[in-house]
Amino acid sequence: MGHVTSFSALPVAAALLAGTAIWSSSALAQSGMNTTNLQHEIVLDGLENPWDMAFLEDGTMLFTEKCSGLSVRLPDGVVKALYGVGETEGYASNGSDLFCEGQAGMMGVAFDPDFADNRRIYVYSTSNMSDPHTNRLMRFTLSEDFTEVSDRTDIVDDVPYKMAASNHPFGGPGAHNGGRVRFDANGHLFLTTGDTHNGQVPQSPTMMGSKVLRIDTDGNAIADNSPPDGFDTRTYTYGHRNVQGIAFHPETGAAITAEHGPWHSDEITILENGGNAGWDPRPNMAGRGDCPDGYCGYSPNQEDGMNRYERAAFMPMTDFDTYPDAMAPIWNNNGWSQGTSSAAFLKGDAWGDWDGAMVVGIMGIGFGGTPIGQRIDVIQFNDDNTDVEDVTEMTLPMESGRFRSVVMGPDGSLYTSIDEGTIYKLTPGG
Amino acid sequence: MSKFYVLTALMIICGFAARADNHATEATAAEQTGTAALEQEVDLEAAEKIFRKSCRACHGNKAQGAASYPKLSDKSPEYIAEKLEIYRSGEKIGPNSILMISHAKKLSDEDITNISVYVATAFD
Repeated sequence: MGHVTSFSALPVAAALLAGTAIWSSSALAQSGMNTTNLQHEIVLDGLENPWDMAFLEDGTMLFTEKCSGLSVRLPDGVVKALYGVGETEGYASNGSDLFCEGQAGMMGVAFDPDFADNRRIYVYSTSNMSDPHTNRLMRFTLSEDFTEVSDRTDIVDDVPYKMAASNHPFGGPGAHNGGRVRFDANGHLFLTTGDTHNGQVPQSPTMMGSKVLRIDTDGNAIADNSPPDGFDTRTYTYGHRNVQGIAFHPETGAAITAEHGPWHSDEITILENGGNAGWDPRPNMAGRGDCPDGYCGYSPNQEDGMNRYERAAFMPMTDFDTYPDAMAPIWNNNGWSQGTSSAAFLKGDAWGDWDGAMVVGIMGIGFGGTPIGQRIDVIQFNDDNTDVEDVTEMTLPMESGRFRSVVMGPDGSLYTSIDEGTIYKLTPGG
Repeated sequence: MSKFYVLTALMIICGFAARADNHATEATAAEQTGTAALEQEVDLEAAEKIFRKSCRACHGNKAQGAASYPKLSDKSPEYIAEKLEIYRSGEKIGPNSILMISHAKKLSDEDITNISVYVATAFD
């Protein structure tokens, strides 16, 4: 039986545009044999491309909007606009160098693990301070009253940015910036980056796109990072395509990425320190000839649909022929690329069998016969936590959307943002 | 439930002159092509099916725009129809043209009429 939604595609949806409405929906809670009953609330609506959230224990929530800026929602529901992109009005202060273009703009956000003592937060954004422009990881101090940020320090200032359009799908400037910012249990700061449609970036030892950086809060490499000789020592893993999801296994502590594939093969990968994810879209290698604008990432036949396995054979997401020691993905979305974006681990008894499972937000694409696939998947690991044992599509108590971010809240609920402008709270139980 | 409505639809009479200028603005396109107000029977039910299958995942559930995909709900039917005609012809007019061409080439004239009116009016 199809689930009932209260979100119509027709004009009544306009009533939901209030800025901070909390909309309860217990009547829409699901029941089923294989899923957890869920309720949902709208935490914020009418946002402009919300990209990421971060929480304090009391429920205080930082959130970013790609072209607008950084804001904080306090536990009483009041929203304070903190740091605007460019000249965006209404923010306590602005980064005049920050801008948005295509997929680029203000993206990931995190609280410092010692926030209570140091008031530090971290935000990743595209900046024109350098030429060519770059993506930067900024550190701020958040005021005691949560009304403003100060002390901006760009602890990473050299993540590549795509300056010009190219002859590719989604080929505009600003493509593939990665963008997630997360701390692990050891207090190490992870930043995920993307290939910027540049064939040279993923396997480059020095260009910091297509990497997972592991750094301290000053931007310095963690001492035991072990990339190959000659690599920038901030590199934890390399050879990625465009990582927008990273989470840490609650038992093993392993960093695990969820990555958006080309026209095939979204991937989940348990990272290995120094590992190569095996993405190498350079032309004239691995059996390929020339490709449009020096990037084979959508080849062959980049303008039409074709069998996904034929695509994968030509331009593998993880190229084991060229890189036999590449990190093996533990999930490839049945060979589809549907816009896998973010990842988190569910936590709490209320989640039942899903307590400790990974959730992955999928935005949906629908190109060339690929099912659109907007959803949140629940990924359950095997007893050794080394492989995927089962995947269940979460039965959602609301209409699906472009699930850009999934973040576990301190209240045991899962928060998810969709590009369409809403942050939802999903709570187990009915 | 009847899903058929009779609306006054602004229908672009697209000609080759319009397609020749792939960077034409809405205003210049209108100048070059001219528009005619026609009484059209617009099948909103059919349009909604197309929208949910081919448009919603990128442009958003209310055509409000999302990620790098533009807002459509504030555009006019003639603007949307003109762009769909161009995409259907295989002409690239923006960074996401490959996606748009793959969807638009499946659309009939009637489909374009329907979806253009639906997107421009359903989310007011």
